[in-house]
Amino acid sequence: MSAIEFSRVSFRYPTSGPVLRDVTFEAPAGRVTWIFGPAGAGASTLLLAAAGLAPGLTGGSLEGSVRILGQDPGSRSGRGAVQGKVAYVTATPYLQLSGMAESVFDEVAFAPANIGWDRARIEAAVPEALARLGIGHLADRIPEELSGGEQQRVVLAAMFVLRPDVWLLDEPTSALDGTGRELVRAFVRAEAERGCVVLFATEDAELGLALADEMVLLDEGSTVARGIPADLLGTELMWAMRAGSTGVGELARAANRLAGERAAHLAPPYPLTVEAAVERWR
Amino acid sequence: MSAPAAPEGLAARAHPFTPLVVSLAVVALAFLLPAPAGPLLLAALLIIIAILGGDPRALIPAAWLAVPFWVLLFILHALLGDGPMRTLGPLTLSVHGSALALTQSGRFTAIIVASVLVIRGFRPGRFVDAALEAGWPWTSAYITAATLNAIPRFQERAVRVQEAMRSRGLRVRGTLITRAKAFVPLALPLMLGALHEVDERTFALATRQVRAEGVSRTPLRPPADTALDLTVRWGAVLAVLGAIAWRFVA
Repeated sequence: MSAIEFSRVSFRYPTSGPVLRDVTFEAPAGRVTWIFGPAGAGASTLLLAAAGLAPGLTGGSLEGSVRILGQDPGSRSGRGAVQGKVAYVTATPYLQLSGMAESVFDEVAFAPANIGWDRARIEAAVPEALARLGIGHLADRIPEELSGGEQQRVVLAAMFVLRPDVWLLDEPTSALDGTGRELVRAFVRAEAERGCVVLFATEDAELGLALADEMVLLDEGSTVARGIPADLLGTELMWAMRAGSTGVGELARAANRLAGERAAHLAPPYPLTVEAAVERWR
Repeated sequence: MSAPAAPEGLAARAHPFTPLVVSLAVVALAFLLPAPAGPLLLAALLIIIAILGGDPRALIPAAWLAVPFWVLLFILHALLGDGPMRTLGPLTLSVHGSALALTQSGRFTAIIVASVLVIRGFRPGRFVDAALEAGWPWTSAYITAATLNAIPRFQERAVRVQEAMRSRGLRVRGTLITRAKAFVPLALPLMLGALHEVDERTFALATRQVRAEGVSRTPLRPPADTALDLTVRWGAVLAVLGAIAWRFVA
């Protein structure tokens, strides 16, 4: 059984046209699946639907079937069954802080306290979560006073403390510097290896290429293609969709267009990394 | 991004229920105590508490809110009032109107200073823990805390929007006309941004089990409810009851 299953899902917000159109895909446990597409393709909405937040909290209407860990996250019983098992992280860490905590420790303890863990269990679990994200030294700091990158790691720790089975990540590294991005990348990979299903959306093709086992291409709310990122990112489809590719991929395509038909070695699929470009053009 | 200032003063150190009960008592006493001396003395007492209690900066926003009321009430009642008049330097003032202006100014000032002290000293996490300890349902505790915390958060956002607009060349200071012109460019992103923030926060809180069903939330650090807190709260209640009794007798 796939951990996340979308079957012919269409969705519209109360005041918009269709944002998702007949989307079907599965995301298995233990793998990282990347939702990619041009801005407005519907990736963020897809994550909201997977989390059971759309249409539950956003309003609107959903057709088709969304299953997460075998449950319908939009139903009351399904929500109860996956309670604490689904982590959802967005690009704005400041807005994901509870506003109730005077320390990072209490921020991370917020969700466990909400589901009634006793204090001893919370006292044991929180330092472990902080250490896992490399922010143990921030435990006594006020969350709102941290940098965006630190806040993003606090938010991840605040989800990790519950040991979720599903990670839904919307631009999870947007507020991070290079070191923070590397840490989060390693963290997400480790979570997949722990057996979690990871579904993430980013317009950062380098990150997607490095992190994802599989990608789902969305355009105007519809699934356009599915496959391995390294196979898809170098094809002309990416530019036909206005989605773009990695920096090296963009450069390789520009070189191909300048050279025209004179240089067959510049033809697609384009190399996506410096190493691949050196290998091909040596 | 500017972080909120850490809460200061007696209101931040006391048990979370104490400043709330006292501020409600202040609202009642401002109208029950004999005018104009009662409200004025109450306002003076709260100003002293703000200074000695460790949060004198609370008086700055309080003054911004109260002073326009003083001016308006003085013009309306003292200058434009009728009845017996008395000359004070270049001004001819209504005796009755002046007393009314002083009374209402004292009431407004007392209520405003008490409210500002409560809001500046409010610590939502401590309040939620205290409310849970007292047996409140989690959602009631959370909604009350979030509501009381909304004002400082809205202020933070207003500062951020103002800074962003000034960096784009909007003039937000100067004459009344300049400020009025800046109102729409400031208010629109402030309101739209606030609505967007509510959405994002709702999603985040939902995934952090704020809506968890069938479980009781664990209070993390319930604050101590000291004998002093109890005394102050009961003292405030008794003061209100005493003032009510006095109104019936007098």
